[in-house]
Amino acid sequence: MSDQQVTVSTTVERESVEGTCPECGRQELKRYPVLSDGGWFLAVKCQHCLCSVSRTPWNRLGSVIRLEDLL
Amino acid sequence: MSGTEMIGVDVGGTFTDVVGIEDGQIKVAKVPTNVAASDTSVLAGAEALGVAQAAVFNLASTAGLNAVITRRVPKIGFLTTIGHRDILDRGRIGRPLTALTDMSWRRGISDASRPLVPRYLRRGIHERITAHGDVLIELDEAQALEQIALLGKCGVEGVAICLINAYVDGRHERLLRDLVRQQLGDLPCSISSEVSPLAKEYARASTTVVDTVMKSKYGEYTARLDKGLRSLGFGGQLNFADCSARLLPADYAMERPYRLVVGGPAAGTVSSAHFGGYIGDGNLICADVGGTSCDISVVIDGQPWVNTTFELEHDLLVNALSTDIVTLGAGGGSIVSITPTGEVQVGPDSAGASPGPACYGQGGDRPTMTDAALLMGILDGDRFLGGKMPLRRDLALAAFERLETNLSLGQRVQYAWRMGLNNVAEGILDIAIRRGIDPRDFSLVAFGAAGPMLLPALLDSIPLRRVIVPPHPGLFSALGLVSSDLVYSDHRSAYTILSGDTAAQIDAIFASMEAGLIERADASKGDAVFVRSFDARLVGQSWETPFVEVPAGPITPATIDTMIASFHDTYERRNGNRFPAFPVQGVTWRVELVVPTPKVDHVRLAPTAGPPDAVRTLALQHLYTDDAICIEYERNALRCGDVITGPAVIREPMSTTFVPMDRTLTCGEFGELVIH
Repeated sequence: MSDQQVTVSTTVERESVEGTCPECGRQELKRYPVLSDGGWFLAVKCQHCLCSVSRTPWNRLGSVIRLEDLL
Repeated sequence: MSGTEMIGVDVGGTFTDVVGIEDGQIKVAKVPTNVAASDTSVLAGAEALGVAQAAVFNLASTAGLNAVITRRVPKIGFLTTIGHRDILDRGRIGRPLTALTDMSWRRGISDASRPLVPRYLRRGIHERITAHGDVLIELDEAQALEQIALLGKCGVEGVAICLINAYVDGRHERLLRDLVRQQLGDLPCSISSEVSPLAKEYARASTTVVDTVMKSKYGEYTARLDKGLRSLGFGGQLNFADCSARLLPADYAMERPYRLVVGGPAAGTVSSAHFGGYIGDGNLICADVGGTSCDISVVIDGQPWVNTTFELEHDLLVNALSTDIVTLGAGGGSIVSITPTGEVQVGPDSAGASPGPACYGQGGDRPTMTDAALLMGILDGDRFLGGKMPLRRDLALAAFERLETNLSLGQRVQYAWRMGLNNVAEGILDIAIRRGIDPRDFSLVAFGAAGPMLLPALLDSIPLRRVIVPPHPGLFSALGLVSSDLVYSDHRSAYTILSGDTAAQIDAIFASMEAGLIERADASKGDAVFVRSFDARLVGQSWETPFVEVPAGPITPATIDTMIASFHDTYERRNGNRFPAFPVQGVTWRVELVVPTPKVDHVRLAPTAGPPDAVRTLALQHLYTDDAICIEYERNALRCGDVITGPAVIREPMSTTFVPMDRTLTCGEFGELVIH
């Protein structure tokens, strides 16, 4: 180990979305990509209870864009 | 008349079957199932037969299974050790064989598919108990209350709690349950250390979730049912059938209702085992052939083959003892078709009950095994279901003629019949090989409406000891609900190497479980007996050999030696080899308190008074190379010792038995038809 601590964090940009969580009632919705066993989705999730308000399929390899997807 | 003495009710998806025993006679009622409130169907059936004199009312239902499979379940929250909430997604990792190379396959229970608990309702709790039962991290009550409050805001109707290593020590789970009740009130809440304190967290978590679902489904249902039965004058014992069709008193069943998730299908196996006791035959292959499917199970030495878990769908497990039943897509309604390469194919599609076989005249236009039997002359179209439902030969004929093939009519019918039988024969042989049993030592019990018609012919393709058609084959499965004992059971996991040093530890485990069961069961049930067993493995293995016998009495170093020998014997029986040099590790310890309860009594027949009277002779077509003459008999007229040589058909209101050419049927003491 070196003396210098290196902190690595993996994160995605979370875009605020207007609206109320249908489950817990909080107004803390954000849109960001998530990876689940169904693949990558662009989800709108409540930041309080983590309920997925909506999920739409996203890039097949997440942040890696394949050339053929650009065609 | 003394009135109905005992009643068994099987709640199906379409109909609720009610069977009652009165003066040794079987009474039957069939009422449509009200899916939204099936207790009303049960009460209607109870009223039809009368329950005022009944000592027991035994109920089996697949309502829980249907709710789970269709996901018509209440909103459940799930609390687990932080970092482990995805155990419900992960399952056991494995894929089904058919999906090994299918990239689009998704585990049905995962959050991306159809979870029982969506991921946002699974919350992590700061706590940790080690595998030895020590507290590594104290439960953070403030954080737990925050998560429980969140579940409350989301409107959960029940909470399942499964913490890591809680099977060793459930103190944190009990504390969490208190917090749930404090915060959310008296909603259904199950904790894994009470529901199923077994090692391996996925099955424990899954079982706990199913238990919470079942509590929500069955809680008020049972109270309504009990009240309704009392208002009909019922003063006896209300029991539920569990996944192996053993009976649990209603109040006891509701403590851990996950055991009821699949009541009913195992009843045919229990019925066979019970009847096998009467005729002195404990090695049975049981085949329940209905319109759509053929359910096959095995009884060895009088005991049904039971599994330690039940898989509701792929990777959706409950830790419930369940009779091992394999279902084949072969029955009277199996559809006959021609493949693109011109072969005759039977099943797995079925015409079911609606529209049913073409000869039913209910709109079905595809030929089935029932149509083939009608055209061959085995079925009597005028007397089907006791004459209540005449069959139309012209429609069966038209259906076979519509098949797109160059085969003659006779070939179409004969080949379809042979293919249908071959499907069942392959299925039975496959099951026998998997269980490691030799069919030559086993009798095939043929029941269900179509079993006695189809299965005796399997004697030509499988080396079976004999085929037995029990009395009332059409109702035989439902009779299993009045053929079982009451069973109180407990189980728990504790990894323990079997040696003289651990005898006291194992003795304490059994003593503790038995004391709990004695306290739980009615103290007056003096004729109850304990049955002990354990699941164990060779040290280093990751899987267990279940149901190793344990002697009664205190566990001493001498008893341990017996248990080790018993393990190696069981291991060898199941796997074909033994490794006595390896130490044995006990994993799960099981106790059952079996309480005898009233059961159906099969009546002895009068001895034969000479050759049985034939009703008439029939011409069998398309079955053999040439047409054959077949003798028809009435089953009610047969007596013990009567002998009939095939080809012959034996008629009774709900079934027809076919004795193939060169086979001999002997009527047994209890009315069983034994075909060699």
